[in-house]
Amino acid sequence: MKRTALALLFALCCGCQRTTKAPPEAAEIFREAAAATGLDFRHNSGAGGEFHMTEIMGSGAALFDYDNDGDLDVYLIQGAGGGNKLFRNELIPAGRLRFADVTAQANVGHAGVGMGAATGDYDGDGFTDLYVTNFGGNVLYHNNGDGTFTGVTARAGVAVGRWSTSASFVDYDRDGDLDLFVLNYIDFTPANNKKCYAPSGERDYCTPKAYEPVASRLFRNDGGGRFTDVTVASKIGSSAGPGLGVVAADVNSDGWPDLFVANDSSANLLWINRKDGTFLEQALTLGAAYSEDGIAKAGMGVAAGDYDNDGRDDLLVLNLTREGATLFRSAGRSFEDVSLRTGIRPLTFAFTGFGAGWIDYDNDGWLDVFMANGAVTIVEALRGTPYPFHQKNLLLRNEAGGRFRDVSSAAGPTMQLSEVSRGAAFGDIDNDGDIDIVVTNNNGPARLMLNEAGSKQPWLTVKVKPGTRVGVERAGEKTLWRQARTDSSYLSANDPRVHFGLGKNPVIQGLTVEWLDGRRDRLPPPKANQSISVPSR
Amino acid sequence: MRLWAAAAILCCVSCTNRPKAPELPQLALDAFLPAVRTEAAKALEAARANPADGAAAGKLGMILHAHQQYGAAEVCYRRAEALDPKRPAWPYYLSAVYAQEGNNLAALDAMGRALKLDPSYAPAQLRMAELLLEAGRLGESGERYRKLSSAEASYGAGRVHAAKGETAAAIESFEKACAQFPEYGAAHYALALALRKQGRDAEAQPHFTRYEEHKLTVPPSGDALLAEVKKLNVAATAYVREGADLEAQGKLAEAAQAHLKALEADPRMEQAHINLISLYGRLGEPEKAAQHYRAAVALNPSRAECYYNFGVLQFSLKRYDGAREAFAQALKINANYAEAHSNLGFLLETEGKVKDAVDHYRKAIDNQPGYRLAHFHLGRILVNQRQYAESIAHFEKTLTPEDDSTPRYRYALAVACVRSGNRARGVPMLRQARAEAISRGQSEIAGTIQKDLRTLGESVE
Repeated sequence: MKRTALALLFALCCGCQRTTKAPPEAAEIFREAAAATGLDFRHNSGAGGEFHMTEIMGSGAALFDYDNDGDLDVYLIQGAGGGNKLFRNELIPAGRLRFADVTAQANVGHAGVGMGAATGDYDGDGFTDLYVTNFGGNVLYHNNGDGTFTGVTARAGVAVGRWSTSASFVDYDRDGDLDLFVLNYIDFTPANNKKCYAPSGERDYCTPKAYEPVASRLFRNDGGGRFTDVTVASKIGSSAGPGLGVVAADVNSDGWPDLFVANDSSANLLWINRKDGTFLEQALTLGAAYSEDGIAKAGMGVAAGDYDNDGRDDLLVLNLTREGATLFRSAGRSFEDVSLRTGIRPLTFAFTGFGAGWIDYDNDGWLDVFMANGAVTIVEALRGTPYPFHQKNLLLRNEAGGRFRDVSSAAGPTMQLSEVSRGAAFGDIDNDGDIDIVVTNNNGPARLMLNEAGSKQPWLTVKVKPGTRVGVERAGEKTLWRQARTDSSYLSANDPRVHFGLGKNPVIQGLTVEWLDGRRDRLPPPKANQSISVPSR
Repeated sequence: MRLWAAAAILCCVSCTNRPKAPELPQLALDAFLPAVRTEAAKALEAARANPADGAAAGKLGMILHAHQQYGAAEVCYRRAEALDPKRPAWPYYLSAVYAQEGNNLAALDAMGRALKLDPSYAPAQLRMAELLLEAGRLGESGERYRKLSSAEASYGAGRVHAAKGETAAAIESFEKACAQFPEYGAAHYALALALRKQGRDAEAQPHFTRYEEHKLTVPPSGDALLAEVKKLNVAATAYVREGADLEAQGKLAEAAQAHLKALEADPRMEQAHINLISLYGRLGEPEKAAQHYRAAVALNPSRAECYYNFGVLQFSLKRYDGAREAFAQALKINANYAEAHSNLGFLLETEGKVKDAVDHYRKAIDNQPGYRLAHFHLGRILVNQRQYAESIAHFEKTLTPEDDSTPRYRYALAVACVRSGNRARGVPMLRQARAEAISRGQSEIAGTIQKDLRTLGESVE
């Protein structure tokens, strides 16, 4: 009986459309396809010579299926001189990856000093809504379900008029609806702009230390399309930092989502959910506030994922050039900085990292690292050249959970571009079973990096409610645990589907779904190389 | 003939072993600040005029290194080493810039050459151990650390043990480092993490606290070579940074001098003027402070911090109208300026405008939720208004971190508890506040608390 019920619950769906494409050149892992597919977007920083910090920090992107047609659409944030853009993915039903600019008809072209985006179906109507963060006034777009959106910021009670950065829709109180956590950065305004200088004395962008940090905001979803600001009541307001990256993850495995915030040049914050509507900040004692040498690094992008396949999410925080990224490995009751041991620190030392993702790009069952890079202060070697902030992005291959290896140079021409990258949104854009990437560039074009290598190995994609964990069991292998989430990276929102690379062992023996309330269902094992959907209980 | 051939071969071998000196780097000097440009141009000219002089190329490298121009400095140091291969400073500096560039292998190699030339230079031995640790060569790193006796070496040895998963040995090394240099922030942090890893959370806690107190404090490096490089930094920002460090050490006169040097290097450096308002104010030289205020406003009339510092100066001179005006101006530019809200609130409170004061204190807290002084001021007013629960909530937020203000804040919380009728909580807290005041040599507060305890009919011992 129980078996039958579970089988019903386990509805295989149609997300298994595959595209036909020309075989990639040897060694090309990612192929740049923005222009070829109509993803025509160029970010404008609005830089006017006054070195306003807002110019150098943005902007992000969101990957979400706004029209529920089974493929990921792309929302790109503009910094100045124009509005944000929504591109509809026409893969389904056209069968060919192509984007159409539907901004005007969808009514989502907010024009401001744009920063980032978060996605989530906050009203449970089955259509994904969109929260846009800005310098000076965020916007909540309600998805009407007919291809259009309505701005409902004030009515919903989620207005924030500071400099907001990343945000996360997360059901922190486990009442079944998505709440909203919004990071704020610093108290910069054009009126209080400070003059800062490079070590050689020329004018340069300031670091966040020149300003005061501003506390994050937490909004509780009360249902009926309304939120209450619970920043003070939840204690989230009790500690402020210049927040740039956020991810919700159950770091202590108690079944309740905790909130990790990467702060720029200040201790990271780890808000432990106390299950009573309040949080306790414990980054210091849990070992995630600083790197192992006690340094508060310039945390920007963040990613949570189980890189060593031990069943627990580890945290990757990207930092400034000459700091190196920090990999906080979950050791159960706390974190340990394993950046040196895994090679992450030396490999990333020369880069300022923003967009961050744990992606199994080659579907071998181990999470690799993609890092979108670009400096925030003048790169010495580029002095005297236009916009001297560009750097190459990085692809680091996970060598079976122990160390990482830089494979960027062999990853195709797109990985050799040197640009001022900021956001990175991850997801299977062409539905071929591997993770593609949209990279946003400050003062530059958005890039669509299609993965040409991953789908050569077996895979499985599972559509579940964000926050849910899915475990894939295979004979002789550790269970692969992945959590569905749209947050993390930098200023960006990701594919909510859970993706598994199955490597050389594609026979799945069991699939376990761990729901938000902690209950687990063991479902019949699906076959590899398909997308399945598991409806919520 | 054979002898000649052998000599020629020998000569060739020695020629090929010696690296070719690279050309001096192309420098975009126009982009540099005038003070930096002058120094770099002089050194470049000297290096060009003496193409066989390794020291001249090295000096240019040091100037570029001091201003974080690592790529160009690297070229100069390579040239210096090729021309002057017996001087250990060049590979030592070269190693430092390679490390800054993230080229760990080259850094290791260069440090090896430096140590070959001068194995006795302790900072080089320490740096070599650190580079080996970063390269994952834990055994060699640990061996080198063990041969050294400094606090940094003990800390490094602990890191090696920790990386190997030898937690007990790591704890031992970190404890040694903390004992050798008790203000060693990083060592306390590492020790706390290692103790916690063993489940010894209670023992870890004081080390987390020590770390918070001394976060970035490290033992004096004793690195005379790198000190030579640092001295060459003539950028205004370096002087401002030096001034800020001196100010943090309480050396206000020296801090002011450093800021004046910053202004010599770059007269447009508004931050130096702004900091000097505060420094001269505290040094009891209000005229000089006012002069820098005027200069800062002339450079940029939109810096809230400038008006804020001037407001504090006016307040210290008991010119309350001027102070109020300055804080208001700061808030006009930056409505979220927590300190300006708090100070303006205090001024309004002294004028009897309690409602307005409360409003400003609340705004200060909204913008800086952990702002202890604003919580304290607001708590005081609320106690007087008999709003005890809210007042206690605000006082509770003043208790961390523990420092010289803690006895005063705990005293306020204790009074609020007693007045609210919660004597059971308030009296022990009064005793605790008194003990803390005594241990910190705050006899006046201790005496006041003692009186209060007697008034409440409590013994003071």
